[in-house]
Amino acid sequence: MISLAGRDILHSWQKFALTGLGLGLLIGVTLSMAGVYRGMVDDARALLGNSGADLWVVQKDTQGPYAEASSIKDDLVRGVLGMPGVMRAANVTYFTMQVQQGNAEVRAMVVGMEPGQPGSPGYLVAGRHITRSHYEAVADIKTGFALGERIRIRRHDYTVVGLTQRMVSSGGDPMVFISLKDAQDAQFLKDNDAILNDRARTAANPAFNRPAIPGLLEAVQAAQASSHNVNAVLVQVQDGSLPEQVAQSIRRWKHLEVFTREGMEDILVAKLIATSARQIGMFLVILALVSAAIVAFIIYTMTLGKIREIAVLKLIGTRNLTIAWMILQQALGLGLIGFVVGKLAATAWAPIFPKFVLLETRDAFTGLVVTMLICALASTLAIRVALKVDPADAIGG
Amino acid sequence: MSKSPALRRRLALAGLALALIAALAFVLLRAGPLAPTRVTVSRVTEGSFSPALFGIGTVEARRSWMLGPTVAGRVLHVKVDVGDPVKAGQVLAEMDPVDLEQRLASLDASLARAASARAAAAAQLLDARARGELAAINLRRNQDLANQNFISAGALEARLQEKASADAALEAAQANLNGAGQDMTRLQADRAALQQQRATVRLLAPSDGVVSSRDAEPGSTVVAGQPVLRLIDPASLWIRLRLDQGRSAGLVPGLKAQINLRSQPQATLAGSVARVELISDSVAEERMAQVSFDAAPAGISVGEMAEVTLQLPATPKAPLVSSASITRQGNSIGVWRIEAGKPVFVALKLGSSSLDGQVQVLDGLKAGDEVIVYSQKALGSDSRIRVVDALVKPAGAAP
Amino acid sequence: MNQALHRSSAAGQSGIVIERLRKVYGHGDTAVEALKDVNMTVGPGEVVGLVGPSGSGKSTLLKCLGAIIEPTAGRMVLGGKVIYDGGWKIPDLRTLRRDSIGFVFQAPYLIPFLDVTDNVALLPMLAGVSNTHSRSRALELLEALDVAHRAQAAPSQLSGGEQQRVSIARALANRPPVILADEPTAPLDSERALGVMRILNAMAQQSQAAIIVVTHDEKIMPTFKRIYHIRDGRTVEEAGEGRALS
Repeated sequence: MISLAGRDILHSWQKFALTGLGLGLLIGVTLSMAGVYRGMVDDARALLGNSGADLWVVQKDTQGPYAEASSIKDDLVRGVLGMPGVMRAANVTYFTMQVQQGNAEVRAMVVGMEPGQPGSPGYLVAGRHITRSHYEAVADIKTGFALGERIRIRRHDYTVVGLTQRMVSSGGDPMVFISLKDAQDAQFLKDNDAILNDRARTAANPAFNRPAIPGLLEAVQAAQASSHNVNAVLVQVQDGSLPEQVAQSIRRWKHLEVFTREGMEDILVAKLIATSARQIGMFLVILALVSAAIVAFIIYTMTLGKIREIAVLKLIGTRNLTIAWMILQQALGLGLIGFVVGKLAATAWAPIFPKFVLLETRDAFTGLVVTMLICALASTLAIRVALKVDPADAIGG
Repeated sequence: MSKSPALRRRLALAGLALALIAALAFVLLRAGPLAPTRVTVSRVTEGSFSPALFGIGTVEARRSWMLGPTVAGRVLHVKVDVGDPVKAGQVLAEMDPVDLEQRLASLDASLARAASARAAAAAQLLDARARGELAAINLRRNQDLANQNFISAGALEARLQEKASADAALEAAQANLNGAGQDMTRLQADRAALQQQRATVRLLAPSDGVVSSRDAEPGSTVVAGQPVLRLIDPASLWIRLRLDQGRSAGLVPGLKAQINLRSQPQATLAGSVARVELISDSVAEERMAQVSFDAAPAGISVGEMAEVTLQLPATPKAPLVSSASITRQGNSIGVWRIEAGKPVFVALKLGSSSLDGQVQVLDGLKAGDEVIVYSQKALGSDSRIRVVDALVKPAGAAP
Repeated sequence: MNQALHRSSAAGQSGIVIERLRKVYGHGDTAVEALKDVNMTVGPGEVVGLVGPSGSGKSTLLKCLGAIIEPTAGRMVLGGKVIYDGGWKIPDLRTLRRDSIGFVFQAPYLIPFLDVTDNVALLPMLAGVSNTHSRSRALELLEALDVAHRAQAAPSQLSGGEQQRVSIARALANRPPVILADEPTAPLDSERALGVMRILNAMAQQSQAAIIVVTHDEKIMPTFKRIYHIRDGRTVEEAGEGRALS
């Protein structure tokens, strides 16, 4: 027995190919949407994994430092270092701001870290790590900066000495790493006008501006201009210690909030990304419905165009099952072509997206199964029409 | 017809289908998360480098003075302005003496009066002495007479009493004179004190220098301790350098320094570490050192920022790796070495590092080992890797 | 009557026998009696004509014969098998159509996405014959019908006459004992029409199939030896000229 569906496809292959192409682009969009979601989750995981930390110590009653603002004193790290089970602990600051390079501005997350400590980049794709205590930066290649370029962060110029890949914030902004002190200055110290303004305000306050106490005003202004805040302390626990246990002791004795890797993932993925995830989920459902409708329409139209042949086939003795199987095969074939085109298209245009798009293989398989199911379901409409055809129609009046 | 168009078409379409499936397989296996990680490698070489310490500092004057009154007062004259060179002892400013002159005049008058009182007391003393002498003569004569019984005992007693009174009067007069003299001394001391105060109303330059700030104008009131003028010795400018405690090993006085002033970023000046401070900043975790210029440049200002690099002596020859290769696995620090095409983590003992990213390996690697320098993502011992020349195309800038 | 009986017994093991066939469409007030009393006999190897004006029940008769619609009463015997006697006597009508009845339509109705050979070979394949045997059978028939040179072509590339011949080949592919032809010569000119009749007669002789040709084409009337006239649902037999076809 020859394959009727195969012959039909071969005979009008342009129509099939074009339809498959169109369907494929639709499927490609669907796969890309799923990839966008996976990319967001991967961004969050990359953020957590690249920091090299097992615990995040933040301001009490906050869910920082990524999901919420958290501010703690920079000397708390010494107390944390002394807790049992803590191998390394380091201050970090995170601040999303515009970084200037020449005339262009790039939105980046500026990370203040100590080289070699948790929070510093674990691997580079070019250049070297920061060696000087000031005015050097390591940037992610997504910023577009090249080695040796001078970039401006707030009040100072920094030289890019190293490049990283895939170091992004949970929102997809690329990271720029600078030394902790520089970052504290950048985050908390303002521009010249604001500084002068603050000084004038303090000078106008009689409580601080006492002529009988020379030096008081200068001391207060100096205190205002310095910053000893950081956003979080990243902790690496010793081999053999349980992160949750260490977290418990820090929470209890230091009156700070502590999150383990699972807790942070939960916050980032479940809370920060939740709304976007739902949005994407809705979009995927709509796309699936649209795809189903389109496939149904296409197969239905194709079947209608073959009504006479179907009547003849039925008349000369073809089984209903054979005819239904032909239509189903065509629908599945269309779906297969569409899926292959879609997967290739999604892979081709994924790098162009501004945020990271992660196309996982299991998503591809799920997509294939769902596509086949949708095509099978969509073909039922056409199959019903085909089965209802009366073979007597082949014999005219 | 042997090769019918239908057959040709069938073959062509089959070819297209196969190409699509091959593309799909390629895409699934090579792109995306299953693809091998691209890395670059380099060989470990032996070498030595000159490590350096880096810090930023501010320009300060080693010798500087604040000139101001020791009591609250009002500024009368300020004779110099910012930038004027001054000589030691030069009068730079004057406070308002207020009533000092008048008090001095009053004291002078008191002194004159005291002198008069002393003169009077001296005259009284002479007078009392004269009387005493007379009383003594009388007494002797009367004693003689009493011895010959020419006068009564009562008369002798009267003469005795006169003598006693005259002696007392003499002592009193003497005491008066002493008192008058002490009074004068006191008044003179008062006058001297007031004179001193009068002197401090004038602010004199304690040493040669340059006026660096003029903090109060004539007519303003200042309290004790508040400066009116500040002076610096311009030849004594040095840089107060702050170094990270963690990266200050090898800091000793005498190290050669390369100084870049914020205001002159192109020019690199030479200097050396003059002093390493004994007290560090525990809050900022920084050590302080003073770096002096070999030749003080013109046109620098106090408070200016500078970036200073201190050269340490060269390290002995040892295997060197780039700092980009160094990663952590759990508790240990090391590099990924390539063995038979697979990455293997090697824990290392590291020594000093240079400012351009070279690190000394004390133990764990030898020259000729291949280590992974750059990688696209974090590596594990089961990562599949593919060695390439470079992960990032150079943009023409320095590495 | 005796003649008919005689013929019917002679046609005993094959051929077509229809007795008192009746077909009523609808029921109650709107009932239409399309066939009232149809009697026909066709022997194996015979080609008979079925002639009648439109609305006379020709199509209904064909549909009953073709086991497409169910008659109301009567008896039908096809190829020696009683297929209807007051009710269907064959469980699977579709298989009956496939294996026992060949259809030739007014238009060729070839499957456009199968080539000529496969169009003909389709029926044996549906019957379970292997692809190779089906195709060789198809080629045989195509050669017999003189269209073998177009064996690999698509139906759209053939002329009308060639398509018609292919459709005849298709009808014969499963060696059915009965062939029903519905106006096979209507669009053709007289030469071509006679050609088709020639083929049909030749095929009938070769395969001993009983062939009924529904037609009102005057050009081919002389070729029939017997003609059935159907009027108002009743058939009347008539002897035809039976002109020989060279």
